Amino acid sequence: MAAADDATFASTDDLDETEQEAVQDLLFRLADDELVLAERYTEWQVRAPTLESDISMANIAQDELGHARLWYEVLKDFGHDETDLIWERDADDFRHSTLVEQPFAEGDWADAIVRAYLYDVAEDIQLHALENSTFEPIRDRVGKVLGEEDYHLEYATNWLERLAADDEGRENVQDAVDRLYPYALTLFEPTDEEVEATIVERGLRGEDLVELRDTWHDRVSDFLESIGIEVPGLDLPDQYDVHISPDELPEHLGRDGDHTDHWESLLDEMTEAYDELGRDYATHIMDDDE
Amino acid sequence: MSSEYERPERDDDATACAYTSYDNDEDVEYDEKESVDGEVPATGRGAEGVERRVWQALYEVEDPEMPISIVDLGLIYGVSVEDGVAAVDMTLTYTGCPARDMLINEVKQSVSAVEGVDTAEIAVVWSPGWTVDMVTEQGKESLREFGLSV
Repeated sequence: MAAADDATFASTDDLDETEQEAVQDLLFRLADDELVLAERYTEWQVRAPTLESDISMANIAQDELGHARLWYEVLKDFGHDETDLIWERDADDFRHSTLVEQPFAEGDWADAIVRAYLYDVAEDIQLHALENSTFEPIRDRVGKVLGEEDYHLEYATNWLERLAADDEGRENVQDAVDRLYPYALTLFEPTDEEVEATIVERGLRGEDLVELRDTWHDRVSDFLESIGIEVPGLDLPDQYDVHISPDELPEHLGRDGDHTDHWESLLDEMTEAYDELGRDYATHIMDDDE
Repeated sequence: MSSEYERPERDDDATACAYTSYDNDEDVEYDEKESVDGEVPATGRGAEGVERRVWQALYEVEDPEMPISIVDLGLIYGVSVEDGVAAVDMTLTYTGCPARDMLINEVKQSVSAVEGVDTAEIAVVWSPGWTVDMVTEQGKESLREFGLSV
């Protein structure tokens, strides 16, 4: 399904109402995933197994925050501001996948690494599908983000190989895969089927979610099986309308605004200082405009 | 495993790094800088009048962490001045740059202070994404002097 014509949209002004909704939907998926995953990653700061991994996780979190900022910036062109995008947004208005909001069990490093791996492969595939987006502000940002993502994947696969090298580590990785795999599938769920159809029809993203998910599943299975980890199959129902959801999906998808209880407490934590200080707008160290 | 490892020993001839400050060659003006291949980054070579003054102001803004002008670092993608409005397209080396607000503010203030400029509009752009290849030859020398291998 290619774009109806070779139309490209240079800015928000070139979008009709349907397209505006679709672009914002796409951006919220991208930005919210990055923000929430980064927030979770920071929990490993000073708690990871080695000094190097402390620093690596902190740095990866900083990268993901930078990418979240890049996507939120485009949302600002639609009239949003930081206050309503982050600090004052209701928990069920966030569109991230429930994979990124899950808490880590204490000391479960395998969970952090498996999660990073499942997410980073999905992000890599998704970003490549955005390289030729018809919406220029998205297309223009993809290259820089991809350049900063390579070593995330390298880092995760490197750790997975080491963890899976002995029985105990491999068992921990297997447990994490079994637990997180259904949540990872929610990365590929639509926020809204109609809006998702527009995203693909107008060429905002080059591939639909089912194609992305198939590519992801093959890549993840190939690698994990090569290090002795079993990956669940992708059981798809026989009948479907627009989007095919696999049977293994968890109860809460996140993409539709329905999150697990962990999200509300994480958001409370994230906005605690803002709330405690009685703020009603996001303050900056430097004013944007004098 | 540990028996194989030889602890490095101090070299008697080695001296500690004595650099505490790094001076750019003050006599060199921006427009003598060699630009790198490609359309961006820009170096302002050949600019005249108020645009030339804007480039000079930009050349004096340094990266917050390294002794190198942001022009030599390759962060400036374009400058134009029309009716007193200076438009600067710039990028950052890293999307998660913690000095982002500080640097953009410094650019804005420096450009606003240029004679013939009433307002400065700074746009942060990400395409093409910055890489170390965008550093000018002079910039690479500054970075080597600072101790980076580029």
